[in-house]
Amino acid sequence: MKLWYSFLKELQLSSKGFYFYIEILMALIMLVVVLFVIPENFDKRSTEYIYVGLPKPASEAMLGKLLDSDTDGIVESVTIKVKDEELSTDYYESDESKVYLAKSESDLIKLADSKKQPGVAISLDEAGSLHYKYYLQGYESQKLKNLYMVSASKDLASLQEGINGQEVRSMSGDYEVLSDRANTIPALLTFNGSFMGMFIIAAYIFLDKSAGIIKAYAVTASTVWQYLMSKVLVITLTTIITSLIVVIPALGGKPDYPLLLLFLVTTGFFASALGLLVSSFFKSLNQSFNAIFVLIIAMMLPSIAYFIPSWEPFWIRFIPSYPILQGFREIILDNGDASYVLFASLGFFVAGSLLFIWSNHRHKGLLTA
Amino acid sequence: MIKVKNLYHSYSRDERYAVKDVSFEIEKGEIFGFLGPSGAGKSTTQGILSGLLRLQKGEVTVAGYNVKKISNKMFNQIGMSFEQSNVYNKLTARENLAFYRKLFDVETRDPDELLELVGLADKAKVKAGEFSKGMKHRLTFARSMINNPSIWFLDEPTTGLDPAIAATIKDIIWDQKKREVTTFLTTHNMFIADELCNRVAFIVDGEVRLIDSPRSLKLQYGSRFVDIEYIGGNGLVKESLSTVDDKDRARIKHIIDNNEIQTMHTKEATLEEIFIKVTGRGLI
Ligand SMILES: Nc1ncnc2c1ncn2[C@@H]1O[C@H](COP(=O)(O)OP(=O)(O)O)[C@@H](O)[C@H]1O
Ligand SMILES: [Mg+2]
Repeated sequence: MKLWYSFLKELQLSSKGFYFYIEILMALIMLVVVLFVIPENFDKRSTEYIYVGLPKPASEAMLGKLLDSDTDGIVESVTIKVKDEELSTDYYESDESKVYLAKSESDLIKLADSKKQPGVAISLDEAGSLHYKYYLQGYESQKLKNLYMVSASKDLASLQEGINGQEVRSMSGDYEVLSDRANTIPALLTFNGSFMGMFIIAAYIFLDKSAGIIKAYAVTASTVWQYLMSKVLVITLTTIITSLIVVIPALGGKPDYPLLLLFLVTTGFFASALGLLVSSFFKSLNQSFNAIFVLIIAMMLPSIAYFIPSWEPFWIRFIPSYPILQGFREIILDNGDASYVLFASLGFFVAGSLLFIWSNHRHKGLLTA
Repeated sequence: MIKVKNLYHSYSRDERYAVKDVSFEIEKGEIFGFLGPSGAGKSTTQGILSGLLRLQKGEVTVAGYNVKKISNKMFNQIGMSFEQSNVYNKLTARENLAFYRKLFDVETRDPDELLELVGLADKAKVKAGEFSKGMKHRLTFARSMINNPSIWFLDEPTTGLDPAIAATIKDIIWDQKKREVTTFLTTHNMFIADELCNRVAFIVDGEVRLIDSPRSLKLQYGSRFVDIEYIGGNGLVKESLSTVDDKDRARIKHIIDNNEIQTMHTKEATLEEIFIKVTGRGLI
């Protein structure tokens, strides 16, 4: 009961405070950005470095195809400076990609290495079938590697089609690719829920601390955990509201809403418990600023990896925002992995509970000192 | 109701004690005054007694509860008014009290009745953020009574209030005393202490120098004086003479018998004068 009254009071307070409106405003801005600024899909022409080591007829057929799709129909000769060397390449520019054709495989390796982009060497093996050799950087995600395999098969198919005039079906299957717009939403939700939740709950605590309100609370028959939990509940509710402000107009009926609610609750709980813990180590918002800043930067790394598929080091999976992002993604996908979301929810619930118990313990001894 | 034995407290957790070897006991229904200049350790002591500060060293029991293992239930019996008012600025006076009463398991008092008591009835619907310092202080004071406490901690309840309102507060405290409320009153206002307290403790630099009733202190330390103004051979003469000293008593008699008396006042030493005499320190 006391928790309920505290919750109502926190709700009343937050509706009178400005953080609540900042959050709503942020959600509206995100919505506007998602709907009107981010196109359904970005114009992202990939840059490719290729070496074609094929016998003449095959290579001519391939280059002919490249030239056909070139926007101006002219092959440009481009010299690229790599360290002290100048490597000359042939440059094709199509609607989909920018292709640099290396003169030799060793040139290709140098180009791929210095440009930090994957390179492809195409050759014909003894049996007469095409051979793709990818030069990667070493930190690409498995997903990207799989994608290369699929696209290689596709290229093979289209090349064979060109040479033999035979009809071959593409191998790329039911791998749903989110539109760029939908793709940004998991990142926005993670930012909105987790970062804001963590920051704002800490801000609320410090506000109460500086006003001495916690002391007044400490001399009642109510407990510290009820005080903390009432704040968690308000933050979680705010997160749900602001997330839905973005999700409903942007995605309509696409997401799995029960799963989304569950995930918002568990991740919101986790993030606010983390914020509570951080606030227990400092006396004021100013003092805690560095810690919160570092945490937010750390939590942002997975978002960066999320948008740059070629950068995904192994350790990034251990940052909580990684599974949060992936979870939101699965919720949005039509054939999303519900068991991943459920499992992650359980994980966040357990981790959040532990953090909450810890921060309750710390605050009990500290709120008043 | 309250027992304190060899209490020490250091904010820096070293030998620099804000409270040093303090011991006292407070009986049920007693108003116990804790008097001392600012920085003496009054609020610190009150903080430990009310569980707001962790007990470092010593023994403290409040209403039968060992403060070391504090229970939330204990606070159903405790009321606490803070030196620095701490109310929700964004809530109205009434909302502040209405929320606060929900945090207790015992019967609570009506917010409007309490606001009336401290003269804030007409401000019930005003946000506390718009209150003056004194008004906030009164709201904090009113809040401390909401759970009908049997033990009442008052930290500087009259500081910063104008005299009329301070008198109201004094009356309220007096009223609570009639209801057998045990009160721990921290103040540096000696007049309030003198009028209200059954006993007072003088505290300076974290140490209690003396505990006694104001009356007994006056008997012990306040030798009484008479100020006499009379017409002597060379005009108006003023003398200050003790009423206990034999020589002075004879002198008073002589003056009265032989001179025309203009004015004559007996003067009792104030608690403040006694405090200065005992501790060698002022109260500011
Ligand atoms: N939170 C604190 N941290 C460190 N020192 C404190 C703190 N609160 C009070 N003190 C110090 O402890 C001493 C006693 O303070 P306090 O109990 O507030 O005195 P009083 O209430 O009698 O004015 C003072 O020297 C004060 O500076
Ligand atoms: Mg004080």
